[in-house]
Amino acid sequence: MFGIVVSTAALLAAASAGPVQFNRDVRPILSDNCFACHGFDAKKRKANLRLDEPEGLFTPNADGVVMIQAGHPERSEIWRRIVATNAEDLMPPPETHKTVTLEQRAVLRRWIEQGAPYQKHWAFTAPVAASLPNISGASPLDAFIRERLAAEGLPPSPEADKETLIRRVTFDLIGLPPTLAEIDGFLADTAPGAYERLVDRLFASPHHGEHMARYWLDLARYADTHGLHLDNERSMWPYRDWVVQAFNQNLPFDEFTRWQLAGDLLPGATREQRIASGFNRCNVTTSEGGSINEEFIFRYAVDRTASAVEVWMAMTAGCAVCHDHKFDPLSQKEFYSLYAFFNSAADPAMDGNKMDTPPILKLSTPEQESMLAELERRITEVNGKIKTSITTLAYTDPAEATPAPAIQTVENLWFEDGFPTGAKPQSSGSPLCLVTRGEGEVLSGQLALKRIAKGLEQDYFSGGAEFIVPAGGKLFAHCYLDPENPPAAIMVQFHTNGWQHRAIWGDDAKIPFGTPGTAEKVSMGALPKTAEWVRLELDPARLGLKPGTKVNGYAFTQAGGTVFWDKLGAVRTVDPAKDPAWSLKTWLQQNQGKRVEGLPSHLQTLVRSKKPEQWTEAESTQFRDYWLEHLYEGSRDLLADLKAERAPLEAEKQSIDAAIPLTFVMQDQAKPRDSFVMLRGAYDKPGEPVTRATPTFLPPLQTSAEATPNRLDLANWLLSREHPLTARVAVNRYWQQFFSNGLVKTSSDFGSQGEPPSHPELLDWLAIHFIESGWDTRALIRMMVTSATYRQSSRVTPELLARDPENRLLARGPRFRFDAEVLRDNALALSGLLDRTLGGKGVKPYQPPNIWEPVGFGGSNTREYKQDSGNALYRRSIYTFLKRTAPPPFMATFDAPNREQTCSRRERSNTPLQALQLMNDVQHFEAARNFAQRMILEGGSTPEDRIVWGWRAVTARKPTAVELKIAYDTLRLHHARYLADTEGAGQAIKYGESKADPKLDPAELAAYTLTANLLFNLDETLTKN
Amino acid sequence: MEHPALEFHRLQTRRQFFQGAGLKVGGVALASLAGQAAHAAPGVHPSLPGFPHFAPRAKRLLYLHMNGAPSQLDLFDYKPRLKEYFDKDLPDSVRNGQRITGMTSGQARLPVAPSVFKFQPCGQSGMWISELLPHLHPLADEMALIKTIHTDAINHDPACTFVMTGSEVPGKPSLGSWISYGLGSVSNDLPAFVVLTPNFPSTGNAQALFTRMWSSGFLPTKHTGVTLRPVGDPVLFVKNPPGVNSGDRRATLNALNRLNQITIERFGDPETQTRIAQYEMAFRMQSSVPELADLSGESQATLDLYGSDVNRPGSFTQSALLARRLLERGVRVVQILHRGWDQHGGLPKNLAAQCQDTQQACAAVLIDLKQRGLLEDTLVVWGGEFGRTVYSQGTLTAENYGRDHHPRNFCMWMAGAGVRGGITYGETDDFSYNIVKDPVHLNDLNATILHLMGIHHSAFTYKFQGLDQRLTGVQEAKIVRGILI
Repeated sequence: MFGIVVSTAALLAAASAGPVQFNRDVRPILSDNCFACHGFDAKKRKANLRLDEPEGLFTPNADGVVMIQAGHPERSEIWRRIVATNAEDLMPPPETHKTVTLEQRAVLRRWIEQGAPYQKHWAFTAPVAASLPNISGASPLDAFIRERLAAEGLPPSPEADKETLIRRVTFDLIGLPPTLAEIDGFLADTAPGAYERLVDRLFASPHHGEHMARYWLDLARYADTHGLHLDNERSMWPYRDWVVQAFNQNLPFDEFTRWQLAGDLLPGATREQRIASGFNRCNVTTSEGGSINEEFIFRYAVDRTASAVEVWMAMTAGCAVCHDHKFDPLSQKEFYSLYAFFNSAADPAMDGNKMDTPPILKLSTPEQESMLAELERRITEVNGKIKTSITTLAYTDPAEATPAPAIQTVENLWFEDGFPTGAKPQSSGSPLCLVTRGEGEVLSGQLALKRIAKGLEQDYFSGGAEFIVPAGGKLFAHCYLDPENPPAAIMVQFHTNGWQHRAIWGDDAKIPFGTPGTAEKVSMGALPKTAEWVRLELDPARLGLKPGTKVNGYAFTQAGGTVFWDKLGAVRTVDPAKDPAWSLKTWLQQNQGKRVEGLPSHLQTLVRSKKPEQWTEAESTQFRDYWLEHLYEGSRDLLADLKAERAPLEAEKQSIDAAIPLTFVMQDQAKPRDSFVMLRGAYDKPGEPVTRATPTFLPPLQTSAEATPNRLDLANWLLSREHPLTARVAVNRYWQQFFSNGLVKTSSDFGSQGEPPSHPELLDWLAIHFIESGWDTRALIRMMVTSATYRQSSRVTPELLARDPENRLLARGPRFRFDAEVLRDNALALSGLLDRTLGGKGVKPYQPPNIWEPVGFGGSNTREYKQDSGNALYRRSIYTFLKRTAPPPFMATFDAPNREQTCSRRERSNTPLQALQLMNDVQHFEAARNFAQRMILEGGSTPEDRIVWGWRAVTARKPTAVELKIAYDTLRLHHARYLADTEGAGQAIKYGESKADPKLDPAELAAYTLTANLLFNLDETLTKN
Repeated sequence: MEHPALEFHRLQTRRQFFQGAGLKVGGVALASLAGQAAHAAPGVHPSLPGFPHFAPRAKRLLYLHMNGAPSQLDLFDYKPRLKEYFDKDLPDSVRNGQRITGMTSGQARLPVAPSVFKFQPCGQSGMWISELLPHLHPLADEMALIKTIHTDAINHDPACTFVMTGSEVPGKPSLGSWISYGLGSVSNDLPAFVVLTPNFPSTGNAQALFTRMWSSGFLPTKHTGVTLRPVGDPVLFVKNPPGVNSGDRRATLNALNRLNQITIERFGDPETQTRIAQYEMAFRMQSSVPELADLSGESQATLDLYGSDVNRPGSFTQSALLARRLLERGVRVVQILHRGWDQHGGLPKNLAAQCQDTQQACAAVLIDLKQRGLLEDTLVVWGGEFGRTVYSQGTLTAENYGRDHHPRNFCMWMAGAGVRGGITYGETDDFSYNIVKDPVHLNDLNATILHLMGIHHSAFTYKFQGLDQRLTGVQEAKIVRGILI
């Protein structure tokens, strides 16, 4: 790693005899070794010496000492200090663990000897159009590359063959492999412009936008969960789909920028523009109990600022959160002046752990809107009636009544004349039988239940109706046992989460349910008397039923005999003055200061945080109305019918509402927050107040009016013709996408700690051209992928590899491993399993067990991964649900970021875990099997033909004779083994949800599956060649 | 019958072994050969040039992270005088206006809750340890107890991120990743940094873990901790698909290697060579990982040392034994993250259950390492992300209370390589609310861990976003010399 960096630096530096350039050769050395103590950060500056400005370098100090004396290393203090032999004089001081290497010393010395010409940092001055190198027949892009190669004495590589080209550019533009038909078509197209036509076809594919969006989503830190603490799901995917569409429509980069940074502020903002502004809402958020609001409001604004600065300016603003930037001229105050643009966002500090943390945009259709309006109208109507009814109650609090109301006994009947409304009774044995007084015994009301049982039989329900176990009450039921045919045992059971509460009279051995001695099986003693109605009383505690428990079913059970059952319910004594269901005052006394579940959140907060004496009149009325409607026992019967009328309306409204996609959008508070320099980056240490402004070392901000500038002004400032960074940063990232390294390798850092551009004139030419084209992204990409530079063969000789290991000079074409999403999409596409549907909510494809569960918070709604089935398993990877605290292994293993923060560049690692995944993961193995099936069915009749077909499908080229033989030998080996192990063959072709073609021989298919697995793992398959 | 591909492979690797050549590709030895060559240099996890900076005391690290924040007041920070303050308000002079979380800031009172648990002086040093940790009592003289750890964060997510990465904001590399990056590992068959996330007794909403706690952040992703899992494949995708045996895999790999070798001739790309090596390491892991997870070779005495829970897959106890097996196979850093330590209410009962679940295994792994001579160069660290308040959250009774988050001081212990046993370091006030002597910031702790592993923490940097980033932060961190031999 280290070795490569050194050789790159050497490679980029001037050939040892040529002129030294300050920005390219000298500034990095000074920045690395000196700026931390002698740079922009005034607080850390030692000896009051600045080496990041020409004054500090060239002006003698009071003692006449000068850092750089042009032409004279020995008279230059910097030189004397760097080569000093005694520790006291040596710079950088030994305790910094920094050293100027011999190579760097030589550069410094030559620079001084050459007269020490100074340059302002290249990235902070506007791009300059250099004259095009005069290389006949070469495009401007190629001309710059060729000119440099010629200077280095290197020839460009020949153009890659057509198979390599179509595969390379297809992956690069749509992220999917070319089909065999497409390959054949391209090979057959020998007319001029075939390649350009291919490129245009790919641009027209809707998959182009998906592929381009993937890179942008790394920058936008897009994911489907909030990211902190519970890491619950959020609804953000319409933003992701908007990015896809923006690329498919080739939205110019200036609009693309404006909409995302400030779409909400555009006059008459469209739905799309507001969705785009969600870029600013993709940051991680929390709702952890105990968090301090100001801290997170601060953090979100810092994240939004730092992300925008990195994405559009490739500057590392994070440093300036705590102190002046040490290396670049961004002061802490300037950082907070940028932060002030983002510090008035209207989203709350706590995301509420919900899907729809405001501000949001609901993407409803007109039909949905009118349906909702109608439902709303009807609900309001019922609410009005409820309100009127409540008024008729003329409630007075029994706790305040004199004399105090008497203690009453209250019975709630759960069974009377039949099972409750809503319940779906079930019976074992003969069907349910309810009898009238004429037909049998009835205790009360009109009907009782009668059962003549042959063995263990019962009448019961579970679900559909609900009762609450009262505090301090008893449960009861009544039975009448036929003296002619008495049962051996009777039982009453209650259902909560399951059938776990049973009371038995008589011979409990006749009842095989539950563990004796637990609430699941409580023996109540002998059978009651026969031939009379007997009241059976039950202490709920003995049955494990706590007060407040919801009982959602019960059963009358008997072992043989004839039994009449009637009147089951709960009884309790009520002292209205002390009962929270009758006295509002009592309710408040018992609940004040607590978090009462079930209350609407504003009332929950009211009850929790403020004593009733402190409530305003409006608050008191609001709460009282709520209480009378929802919690007051005395209104229950009165309101039952109206509530029954309202419930289905609300349910329908909720279901329509739930079906409407929504997305987070950016919006500012009506009143902007004040912004301050936060001392040492601490949210609670505000220092000097700041107003919205842009850094002074960059062009001035043009504001639209006398009003305070806003994010839209900031976006326009970034897009101004004079801005030195935006266009360079954007074209550099596209360059990186296609060529592996940007012209500036540190694509997220254009500051003095970043690497200078390998081809500064080309970078500037591209940037200027990009702006002048109207920020036409597609034209820019078209120029890159149709260039001769891009179309070169990627073959490298050992000499060239030694000379330019990272291919910075581009004497060969790009070759590197595909990104995580492409690897998976490639396997799915080759297998034929890929579902090409565009857009929609994130899907949950195959994932090994226990990725989410061991880390997820118990109460999180993304604790348990519920894998989808069917087509959702085979959607493109961009649609995979992304949980930030436990990202999918297929992404994480292949260097995809977890989207907790913006990411300009993915690493490209090469690890054994990747090998294991590509060989063994069900999604790859299932894809191999489906591909194997295609090899057999579509690839011809002989094994050789089928291997050639498969080989071409994965690499776009035919195998050589040697390659074919190796693959064929392996196929035969596998086939022989599976013929001897049909069980193993059967297992191998059943892995995954899709079914193997039953017409195929299992041993043959299994052998081809392993061969396909081999083809899928070829270095050539995993790589853009 | 052995699969012909396997037999061929065995002969092949043996031949290379005896020829002393191996198949060297890009400076990486391809074949680690018949198992016994696991320590062959340079290996698949090389250290950085110049690392370690000096002779290390510790070659391996075992980090036991108790997620949720165990109560220092009920485990290690003995405060006998608190009895007198039972249910009295925490004096303002003690709280001193310090911020408290939103969970208790609305509480009318902050009543002092003395621990219901008994403490006793242990070992020759007389270190005070709670009755909840009886198995640690005899090991007091192996442990250095630090009572004055403090952190910047007051809530779980940022604090967990901080304790593991030195930053509250996500995106920085974890401690284990830093060490993997700097020191590499001697194991050629296993990852350099392994993480276990055992199950836990807490039935409520246990605080979450985050993969960022073992992620490599901006370091190369190969330094991300690899989770050893109790459910499914122990290492992701280490098992062949159903119906595919080791011989089939070997045969595929033989062909793959030959074909990729042709690709090298075709393109000349050194990445292809690395890929061949990584596929070979993957193949070795397919046998080394199951071997690692197979406890059948452990003696009864060892199993008894850990206790009966050792046979329960995914238990903390089994994880502890697996940790020892990983360490003895040369894995550089093993981290066990145990959840359920967030006792806002019902602390006495729930904390006891947490200790019951872990304490014997914590002791066992120390003894086990020591018996094998590994403790002298293995550093063991135990702790949480912050401490807990002396005042009760929610209702306080003689038997029951809860405690809120307290970042200002908490306890961690270290044992093993280079650590002076029997030391109790730092002092807190009578309420375990403020540090009165020898504060140890988490950055200091991390600096000390790096120091024991032979690394100058201030010189251990990685350039990212234009800065020389380091684990121990911008402010100068201090090595805690007082706990070192």
